[in-house]
Amino acid sequence: MSGGALLTPGVAAIVLFVLFFGMIALRVPVAFALGLACLPIMAIEPRLSPMIVFNETFKAYNSFILLAVPFFLLTANLMNVGGITQRLLRLSRALVGHMPGGLAQCNVVLSFFFAGISGSSTADASSLGKIFIPAQVKEGYDLSFAVAITAVSSVLAVVIPPSILMIVWGGTMSVSIGALFLAGILPGLLLAGVQMATVHGYSKLRGYPTSVRSTFAELLGAIFVAIPALMTPLIIIGGKIFGWFTATESAAIAVIYAGLLSTFVYREMGLKGLHKALLDTGRFAGIALFCVGTASVFGWMLAYYQIPKALLQMVTSWGMGLITAGFFVAFAFLVVGCFLDAIPAIIIVGTILEPIILKVGMDPVQFAMIGIVALAFGLVTPPYGLCLMISCAIAKVKLTYVIKDVIIMLLPMLGVLVLTILFPQVTIFIPSLISPEFLK
Amino acid sequence: MHKFIDGYYRLLSWLLVVSVAILIIPVSLQIFSRYTALIPSYIWTEEMARFFFIWMIMLGAMIGIRDSSHFDIDLWPELSPRANAVVKLFAHTGILVLALVFVWYGVKFVQFGWNQHSELAELPMWYIFIAWPISGATWLLFLGPQVIKNLRVLANGEPQP
Repeated sequence: MSGGALLTPGVAAIVLFVLFFGMIALRVPVAFALGLACLPIMAIEPRLSPMIVFNETFKAYNSFILLAVPFFLLTANLMNVGGITQRLLRLSRALVGHMPGGLAQCNVVLSFFFAGISGSSTADASSLGKIFIPAQVKEGYDLSFAVAITAVSSVLAVVIPPSILMIVWGGTMSVSIGALFLAGILPGLLLAGVQMATVHGYSKLRGYPTSVRSTFAELLGAIFVAIPALMTPLIIIGGKIFGWFTATESAAIAVIYAGLLSTFVYREMGLKGLHKALLDTGRFAGIALFCVGTASVFGWMLAYYQIPKALLQMVTSWGMGLITAGFFVAFAFLVVGCFLDAIPAIIIVGTILEPIILKVGMDPVQFAMIGIVALAFGLVTPPYGLCLMISCAIAKVKLTYVIKDVIIMLLPMLGVLVLTILFPQVTIFIPSLISPEFLK
Repeated sequence: MHKFIDGYYRLLSWLLVVSVAILIIPVSLQIFSRYTALIPSYIWTEEMARFFFIWMIMLGAMIGIRDSSHFDIDLWPELSPRANAVVKLFAHTGILVLALVFVWYGVKFVQFGWNQHSELAELPMWYIFIAWPISGATWLLFLGPQVIKNLRVLANGEPQP
C-alpha cells in the first residue's frame, strides 16, 4: 500500500511518535494525543483522509470481544457494593492474618481472590485501597508501604484469569483466550508468592504487627460464607475452557452471578448501590475504551506505512534467538507500559512485535504472557501507572512519596518475568495439560 | 448556561447508566437461547449488544471531558497557578482540535451512513454514526467553561475562589 505514499516509513514513524509524545508532555489526554498525532499525516498524504479516524474507531468499538471489559468492571463494582469483597476479606484474614504483617498479607491474598473473579486491576486497586490503606496506617504500617503494596498487589488481576488483557490480546492477535486463561495461573501464583515473601521481609525488618491466629472453626466459617463467591472463577474459566460460552459471555455470566449473590445471598445491594456500580463502570469503561479506538487509528497508520515490517527487517539482522526475543518483548512492553495504558499498548506494540515472534518461533501463548506480565508492571510504574495513581489518590500522596517501596516490591516480581522468558513451561505447562488442542 | 450544561451532564450520566445496564440483556439472551428451548435464538442479539456498547463508550468519553478524567501524564513539577493554566490551555487546545474534527468530519460520516443498514437487525447505521459528531459537540460544550476558567487564572494570576 505504501507504494504511492508521500512519506517514507521512517519519516512517518518519526512524525507520529514525536507528535504523540510532544502532546502527552503538554498534558493532552493520551486518548486524544493518539488521534491528534495521526491528523497532520492524514491531511498531507493524498490517499488518506480524516475519515480513517471514524472508520477505525468504529471498527474498534464494534467488537463483541471488547464488550467483556465493561462486564468485568461491573462484576468488580458489584462485588464491592454487594458485600462479596467483605466475605473474601474475612476469608483472607482467617488464612494469613496471623503471619507477620498479617494485614498486608491479607491485602495480597485478597487481591489474588479478587483477581480470580474480576479481570480488572484498576477496580482492585480502588476498592482494596479504600479498605487496606487506612486500616494498615491505623495498625502502624508506614503509609508509603501501605500504598505501594495495595498498588503492586492489584496487578495480579491482569495476570490471573479471567483478565481483560488476555481477552483483548486473544481478540486482536487470534490466540485462544482459554489457553491464555490457563497460562496465567502459574505466573499469577508465582507473583502472589513473591509478593507475600516481600511483605514477610518488610514485616520482619520493620516489626509490622500480626493478629491472633483464627481458630479452625473461624476458618471453616469464613470458607463457608465465601464459597458462593469462590465459585465465580470456576464458572468463568471452566465455562470458557469447556466451550460452554465465549469470553464475553463468560464475563456476562460473572455479572449476573455477582448481581444475584449480592442481591439474594449476601443481600447487601440496594438500588442505590446498583446505580453507583453501573455509573462507575460506564465512566471508567468509556474512558478506557475510547482510548482503544484512537490507539487503533494510530496502529492503522503504523501498518499503512509498514512500520512493523521495517522494524522486523531491522531486528532480523540482529539474529535473535528465542530467549533474546523474549527479553526484547519484555523490554518493549515494560518501556511502553510506563507511558501507555495496557490495552492500547497491546493493540499498538503487540501487533508490531507479532511478526518478530512468529519469525523466531516462540509459542504465541508464551509471547502473550511475557507481554501481559510486563504490562502488569506498567500499571505501577510512573509516569503513567494507573493502579499506582489510584492508590496514591486514595492516600492523598504524590507518586514520588511511594516510588522507593514500589521499586523494592517490583524487583522480586521482575524475577518472575525472567522465569516466564527463560522457561516456556511456566506459561505453557498448564494449558498443555488441560487443553493441548489450544496450543499450536 | 451553567444550568443547561449541568442538566445535559445529568442526562448523559443517566443514559450511560441505562446503556451499561441494557448491555447485559442481549448477551444473556444469547446464552440462554443456546441452552434452553424456552426462547428462540435471536440472530440479532450480538449486533444489538455491539451497538449499545458503542454508545456506552461514546457517552463515557463525553462525560470524561466534564469530569476531566481522561487519563493524562503529569511530568511537570509543581507549577505556579498561571503556568499551570497555560499547560491546561495547551491540553484543552488539543482536545478542541479533535472535537472539531469529530464534528466536521462526523457530519460527513453520518451522511455516508445515511442509507446504510446494519447486516442483521437492519438498523439505519446513522443511529450509531451520529454518536461521533454528538461527542465532538459535547466536548466543545463541556470544554467551554474550563477554558474560560483557565483564561481567567491566566489573566488574574491566581485561581478563582
